[in-house]
Amino acid sequence: MLADRLPVLSSLLRERRRSLVLWAIALAAINATYVAFWPAMGAGEEMQALVENMPEGLVQALGYDAIGTPTGYLESTVFGLLAPALLLVFAIGAGARLLAGEEEDGTLELELAHPIARRRVVAERLGTLVVTVVALVAVTTAVVLALVAAVDMDVAASAIVATAAGLLLLVLGFGLVAFGLGALTGRHGVALGVAGGLAVLAYVTDALAALVDWGRWLEAFSPFSWYLGPDPLTTGWHAGSLAALAAISVVAALVALVAFDRRDVGV
Amino acid sequence: MTTDVVIRTHALVKDYGRTRALAGLDLEVRRGEIFGFIGPNGAGKSTTIRVLLDLLRPTAGRAEVLGQDPRAGGAALRARIGYLPGELALKGRQTAGSLLQTLARLRGGAGAKRIRPLAERFGLDLERPIRGLSKGNKQKVGVVQAFMHEPELLILDEPTSGLDPLLQREFLELVLEARARGATVFMSSHVLSEVEDVAARVGIIRQGQMVDVDDVATLRHHAGQLITLTFAEPVGPEAFAALPAVENLSLEGCTLRCLLHGEPDALLKAAARHHVVAWSAENRELEDLFLDYYRVPPEELDSAAEEASAHAR
Ligand SMILES: Nc1ncnc2c1ncn2[C@@H]1O[C@H](COP(=O)(O)OP(=O)(O)OP(=O)(O)O)[C@@H](O)[C@H]1O
Ligand SMILES: [Mg+2]
Repeated sequence: MLADRLPVLSSLLRERRRSLVLWAIALAAINATYVAFWPAMGAGEEMQALVENMPEGLVQALGYDAIGTPTGYLESTVFGLLAPALLLVFAIGAGARLLAGEEEDGTLELELAHPIARRRVVAERLGTLVVTVVALVAVTTAVVLALVAAVDMDVAASAIVATAAGLLLLVLGFGLVAFGLGALTGRHGVALGVAGGLAVLAYVTDALAALVDWGRWLEAFSPFSWYLGPDPLTTGWHAGSLAALAAISVVAALVALVAFDRRDVGV
Repeated sequence: MTTDVVIRTHALVKDYGRTRALAGLDLEVRRGEIFGFIGPNGAGKSTTIRVLLDLLRPTAGRAEVLGQDPRAGGAALRARIGYLPGELALKGRQTAGSLLQTLARLRGGAGAKRIRPLAERFGLDLERPIRGLSKGNKQKVGVVQAFMHEPELLILDEPTSGLDPLLQREFLELVLEARARGATVFMSSHVLSEVEDVAARVGIIRQGQMVDVDDVATLRHHAGQLITLTFAEPVGPEAFAALPAVENLSLEGCTLRCLLHGEPDALLKAAARHHVVAWSAENRELEDLFLDYYRVPPEELDSAAEEASAHAR
């Protein structure tokens, strides 16, 4: 049974299933609403007129220059804004709480005094983060795929899946950065604040890169640019940028596994 | 090393940043005994205990539990220990029963069968959600999880806090049963009275050092007796001041008061030279002795602490 093999992970999932379901419903509803508005908004003339009246710099920063195309609309609304923003809030919050949060409020103490190796505790809690983030990204992707088909948008399903893969790795990366910072410091606030700050910085850097001449150079520093820079909704899979995004998760996970094993807990 | 020592620390030092919580602590707990670990707030009891559970790593010195270093012993060592934290934090929607089942699963199922009988014994409702439990009820959950797998070593940090007197007695009963099946119990407390009925030995910790380790019987002896003698006419202090076993002598008019450690012979013979109209000898509570340790001026301990930290380096 799962509960016997992975006791920490299964009890965490049981404890959080209610909030997980609420998150899934919220993500599905919001993203579905935006896709459903495509026929009225993106494809309509009012949107084009609105964008044409906006300052050019703002249009570029927001990525609205192609909002009249199906891929452009999907990127400006779902994949470039709503889904990553909501999922990052979830992943960073969960990442910070799963280790540092429970350490700080003392609930981790009993678990660690039990016959389970610290690395194992870290691994199962990290696994919980991965499982929940994968589930929410999968729900979001499934809903978008279904609605895109329903409103007859001209975007390849495989390109949507490729973009969702990037989204998953981006969100997981920042969630694990929060987790790793928590493992390193034991401070919930530090994990939350620094990982959240880095995510905002990555978004702003990516938006800036679209505006300035040396933008290409800036993009190298923003995971957001790694995610949407190659325009996966049009061009599909890009192994290189996916690997770069995955590297964040791998490094953060390794740091968590090593760091938490070496330090005092609950000080 | 002998296997008869279950917990051993040698010159154990633990710093939190610049605060020295343990300053060269030497401790020995023997197999099968109930050991009371007593000290005031901030003395370092929880710090010591959390080092034994490998939650904290020593700054210097050594700790050994069941013959192993806590870190090297790892999960296998913790399987043999039951631990009740000093500040038990329990949260969440799940019921007390489901939390205890999860904890049993962390032990590969060990103790799951004893959850129900132990809960009944302490009047713990397993169906109630954890977050709605009172402090005392949470403490019961802590007691159940520490004892349920019948570990060979119990490490209990202020176990009776939050329990009412009836449950405290029930708890001490449980401790005695654990010893009867051969377990060793190491329990901390602020007050001696909480452990003196069950513990054979107690160690007193202050400012990160053991200031005394003794049999409870010896401590009682050290605690001594408060003697009051009333004479028919005022007497001079000369005849009593230098007597063996007499301390804290005071004379007020016809009344002599002192603290007696050991045989009363010399005092009685000195008193017999006068007309004694009344006398009383009152056994001092162990608590009073304990308070003596609390009152040791910090400077005295500081010099000892420096010695120990030099030793640790
Ligand atoms: N996380 C921490 N950071 C800094 N100092 C700490 C920390 N935990 C404990 N201390 C300090 O270390 C010393 C020992 O604390 P400890 O908790 O071990 O005492 P205690 O004997 O368990 O006290 P109490 O009876 O109040 O539980 C105290 O001076 C305390 O202030
Ligand atoms: Mg304490």
